[in-house]
Amino acid sequence: MGARDLIQTFFLGELRQGLSVTLRYLFSPKITIQYPEEKTPISPRFRGLHALRRYPNGEERCIACKLCEAVCPAMAITIESAEREDGSRRTTRYDIDLTKCIFCGFCEEACPVDAIVESHVIEYHGETRGDLHYTKQMLLANGERYEADIAEARALDARYR
Amino acid sequence: MALIEAINPLLSAGWGKGDAGWGIGEYEQRGGYQALKRILTEKIAPEQVIAEIKASVLRGRGGAGFPTGLKWSFMPKGSGEKYVVCNTDEGEPGTFKDRDILRYDPHAVIEGMIIAGYSVGAARGYNYIHGEIFEIYDRFEQALAEARATGYLGGNILGSGFDFELFAHHGWGAYICGEESALLESIEGKKGQPRFKPPFPASFGLYGKPTTINNTETFASIPFVLRIGGEAYLNLGKPNNGGTKLFSVSGHVNKPGNYEVPMGTPFATLLEMAGGMRGGRKLKAVIPGGSSSPVLPANIIMDCTLDYDSIAKAGSMLGSGAVIVMDESVCMVKALDRLSYFYYEESCGQCTPCREGTGWLYKIVHRIEHGQGRAEDLDLLLDVGANICGRTICALGDAAVMPIQGMLRHFRAEFEYHVEHRKCLVPAELQKAGSTFHTRMMAGAPC
Amino acid sequence: MLELEIDGKALQVKEGSTVIDAAHQAGIYIPHFCYHKKLSIAANCRMCLVQVEKAPKPLPACATPVTNGMKVFTHSDLAIKAQKGVMEFLLINHPLDCPICDQGGECQLQDLAVGYGSSSSRYQEEKRVVVNKNLGPLISTDMTRCINCTRCVRFTQEIAGEMELGQAFRGDRAEIMPFIEKTVDSELSGNIIDLCPVGALTAKPFRFAARTWELARRKSISPHDGLGGNLVVQVKHDKVLRVLPLENEHLNECWLSDKDRFSYEGLNSPDRLTKPLIKQGGAWKEVEWNQALDYVAHAMRDIVKEHGPDAVGAIVSPHGTLEEMYLAGKLMRGLGSDNIDCRLRQSDFSGRRAGTPWLGMKIAEINKLDRVLVVCSFLRKDHPLIAQRLRQAVKRGAQVSVIHAADEDLLMKLAGKIIAAPSQLPDRLAQITKAVAELKGATCDLSVAVGAEARKIAESLVSGQNAAILLGNLAQQHARASTLNALTQQLAGYLGGRFGFLGEAANSVGGYVAKAVPAGDGLDASRMLTEPRKAYLVIGAEPELDCADGVRATNALTRADSVIVLSPFKSAAALAYADAILPVAPFAETSGSFVNTEGRVQSFQAVNRPLGETRPGWKVLRVLGNLLKLDGFDFASSEAVRDEALGGGAGKPEFAGDLDNIIADVAIDLSPGGGIERVADVPIYFADALVRRAPSLQKTKDAVTPAARMNAATLAKFGVKAGEQLKVSGGGTPATLVAALDVGLPDDCLRLAAGHATTAAVGAMSGAMTVEKA
Repeated sequence: MGARDLIQTFFLGELRQGLSVTLRYLFSPKITIQYPEEKTPISPRFRGLHALRRYPNGEERCIACKLCEAVCPAMAITIESAEREDGSRRTTRYDIDLTKCIFCGFCEEACPVDAIVESHVIEYHGETRGDLHYTKQMLLANGERYEADIAEARALDARYR
Repeated sequence: MALIEAINPLLSAGWGKGDAGWGIGEYEQRGGYQALKRILTEKIAPEQVIAEIKASVLRGRGGAGFPTGLKWSFMPKGSGEKYVVCNTDEGEPGTFKDRDILRYDPHAVIEGMIIAGYSVGAARGYNYIHGEIFEIYDRFEQALAEARATGYLGGNILGSGFDFELFAHHGWGAYICGEESALLESIEGKKGQPRFKPPFPASFGLYGKPTTINNTETFASIPFVLRIGGEAYLNLGKPNNGGTKLFSVSGHVNKPGNYEVPMGTPFATLLEMAGGMRGGRKLKAVIPGGSSSPVLPANIIMDCTLDYDSIAKAGSMLGSGAVIVMDESVCMVKALDRLSYFYYEESCGQCTPCREGTGWLYKIVHRIEHGQGRAEDLDLLLDVGANICGRTICALGDAAVMPIQGMLRHFRAEFEYHVEHRKCLVPAELQKAGSTFHTRMMAGAPC
Repeated sequence: MLELEIDGKALQVKEGSTVIDAAHQAGIYIPHFCYHKKLSIAANCRMCLVQVEKAPKPLPACATPVTNGMKVFTHSDLAIKAQKGVMEFLLINHPLDCPICDQGGECQLQDLAVGYGSSSSRYQEEKRVVVNKNLGPLISTDMTRCINCTRCVRFTQEIAGEMELGQAFRGDRAEIMPFIEKTVDSELSGNIIDLCPVGALTAKPFRFAARTWELARRKSISPHDGLGGNLVVQVKHDKVLRVLPLENEHLNECWLSDKDRFSYEGLNSPDRLTKPLIKQGGAWKEVEWNQALDYVAHAMRDIVKEHGPDAVGAIVSPHGTLEEMYLAGKLMRGLGSDNIDCRLRQSDFSGRRAGTPWLGMKIAEINKLDRVLVVCSFLRKDHPLIAQRLRQAVKRGAQVSVIHAADEDLLMKLAGKIIAAPSQLPDRLAQITKAVAELKGATCDLSVAVGAEARKIAESLVSGQNAAILLGNLAQQHARASTLNALTQQLAGYLGGRFGFLGEAANSVGGYVAKAVPAGDGLDASRMLTEPRKAYLVIGAEPELDCADGVRATNALTRADSVIVLSPFKSAAALAYADAILPVAPFAETSGSFVNTEGRVQSFQAVNRPLGETRPGWKVLRVLGNLLKLDGFDFASSEAVRDEALGGGAGKPEFAGDLDNIIADVAIDLSPGGGIERVADVPIYFADALVRRAPSLQKTKDAVTPAARMNAATLAKFGVKAGEQLKVSGGGTPATLVAALDVGLPDDCLRLAAGHATTAAVGAMSGAMTVEKA
């Protein structure tokens, strides 16, 4: 043990150093937020809960091209398609298994019509595995509920896309 | 219509009487059918006839200018079904010479075709007549009846043992049927679409048999070539450009019409024959060989002589000899708009570059003309054109592109002005003054 | 041989090759759309433009013949620029609707656009829109996507034989369309879907069902006609969604008939059984397999015990696998009965056969024939792709003649044609035989007067080098089939040519190979019904529709004490006469083999899991054998069954052995018949249980409800006009049918299609009919 260390020990150097940090943070602005009353800002590109969007006239956007299903690295998407009565190509089944999903966002990127999107919603849960198996109806309902947010995020990000 | 202000008229020699001079009697009086008689009675060998044609350097009058004698010599020798086909599907804007040949001198074509049949060993011929000139078709049928009655057509012609039958066939006005292989398809009753070549008609033509196909004017020239001799015929014109040729002069001249001049005549002479520029306005440009040939500005064309080589050297084509004269009142963008529309309308739709490209070209030019041009459009036109040119089954693709290339080569500034200012460089009053339609209406003359 | 260099690679090619052939030989891909190896060259897409040394402009590789010393550059700047230019033109008016296009993922234009297209378009003008066309129930159109390559046009003209499509209008207004108000009704129409390089023509039954990358591709063999077309069956989630051809130059080339292509819809039919059914106290009950098999085994054992083994008969579908047929035969013979037959639509079994009747040649050899006589065949509908091969032969100069009971347009030039009532056909064939014998200077003991048309056909036949006579389905189903066979044999002998049978069904030849025909003095398909048995084992067949006499079949089955049906499907008829129905797998769900008409043994695996409790037929029969305590039923695999059936050791021979068309001991009967005779065709989409349940095929024009067809004179005889009602009977229940005019029929003939519910009760497929105005 050298003389320098002795002095440090004697004058409680490390303790002072540590407490100085404490002191500094005592007076610096606070960054802790009171979740869920307060929330951190989220990037428009944030990838949360999936939603299927509709056009303003109420028509569902998805055309069953199955590109999201093909690109999904976790194989979380299952689609079945058929011809609707009006002759258009539509899904008869659109399931996302959120227990498989890795939220990579490839599905939104692959979508040619901006139908499948990842919203900013992170507050959802399931009590059984089956609860996290989102069907077309659930995804469309998500889309309807969060459309305003989704549209806003899309608009903000539009010029970078 | 001015008819016989020709220098040394051969083809149009009998046109003076107008509609009264087309009959077989008149034609024989002018020396008609003598060449045929001589060949058949003296039993001149087909090879000798072809040699005579070769010596005359008679070049195909339909537009491509391929030496006729050479074409005939490509036909396979020996017996077997062969055909001679005359292409009177004259659809190129600016061309109206074949129509007048059939109107005033149909027997020259008949005689020419019989001689051709004799030379290549064919016993059957067809004359495919454009589908918008039905009165000409009727006249040709009458001429055929006369020739049959006189014994020039049918079995054992003039007791020579040579059989030849000739039929008239009319189309329905499609420009593409003027392309020889599309014409053959049309005669066969199919949709008029060009065939891929090779094989050429000389080996696989009408109904898959060897076929010689020539322009009306070429066939009409044959009797004269043989009457005056190949060498004499060549000497009428210039070396490598034998004989005389009909030029259909249209546009801003005082006397539009068909004029027969020897090959190699200066353009200025032809312009003078046609009565000079109308209304004393300045010559702006000339399309020297039908709508598909590139336009030549006044300064260049005035130095040219009318033969295949001189015009080619100036960067255009003599083509079918349809001289479209444009004076300073013409807006080149508008002119090109009309030309592009023609090719867009007439593309047969068979091969991709022409089917899709002609429409694209037209839409761009049309946009420029209507003040919607964009700065990049002119280069786009040239690039799209380059993608069509030489990539198509037949020459229609090239024909659609060449006017555009010519216009942009010589009158690019006018196009740029159009794009930039969204209006025409040529003042509206001047355009109005030059409009045929307008002046005729003013004068109260029938259109 | 010509020498050339492509991209610096020197190679030799055959005289007359084109640059694209040479490039393929060298393994160099040249992009193309309109070129197809089986079609004529159009050179209209211009995608295959390549640079050729000394040529001033790029040349289309598909149409440019190779010349000696040619140097071709497929990837030079000039070539690439030309190809990119063409791609741009193709794309300017092509819609950007790949996401909803069924061709997406398997689209030539899409693939090549990746290589030759640009990421953005210079085309700022309006795009072209083309109105869709109605091409019938099988083909769906999106004509805006069409790139006018004209492959479909050339197919209908050159392969299918009838120009049902054409290009109308000019320039960029050009459209591919059928004749006005017409659809594409060819029996080969589905092939234009494969040919279309873009999504303009897609399959209607498959529309929007799946993406190509989702589908498992599994090889299989068609269970329909005798060709044995090779299939690629595409499956998703244990459901067959699409069938495509598997290229096989020996058989189907790269084509497939619509029957082979679209019959898969029957696999997903609501008629499919999922559990064994047993009738108890007059009511049907779903049971477990062990119960069902116990029930069946007991029933059969009881019948044999009570009435003797001869009281049992087996009716086997000729569309079943070799393994099922073999085990059925083994089971029957294990019980002591020889009453088994799969030749259900035949009625004349006289004569002694030397071996298994077959085509008499390889299918691929048909193209090389130069003289052909087709005897009694609805060729286009019964054997669409063999008809196509003959069509190609005719184009190369072969002369085809026909002797038949109905004048059908074969869409090929015929050298001669005899149309006569069925009973007169033996006489006409004898005339041809006699005429050929005379021309060949041979002695012939047939006493017939040779007519002019027979002489014309004979002259055509003897003028060639490589003649053959093909006996069609009607010849095999004829009331004097053996006479026709014997005459043909005689005729072929005089000609020095070959003769053979166009196999009625996928396993008609296999039926003989597997001994699913009486080996000794067992009862054949006809006698089994005329001399009713106490018990029947019905495998895969629907006897009321599949037998020569549906009425007799229904009666025999209804009266039997016990009827055991093994079938993938339930039907109202089977529910009425059967006592137990066991769900066995159709071809897609079982392994097995078919022996096609040329004797080729083709084995296949199941392409998906059996539906519900369905089990492969061979397994069911094997277990049934075990339960009946019969020997030699310990097979572990269908391959083991096949190897035993083929009589050899392990391993599959390419062709079945013992193929021989020779027939002996036939009493030749040339007597003419009388009265109104029935001409019965089996329409292409009524021919077997599977295709009868394919809804899209049932919507085609070939599947309209049969009418009573007669020529004008015969109609007049009964005082009826086309469209009026007729009462028709042939021994069964009279049926009321619509009369129709068929100018191609001989006098006093009534053409009435078989295989359809409306005509099943009328009576036998051949013989006299009574007709009266309803």
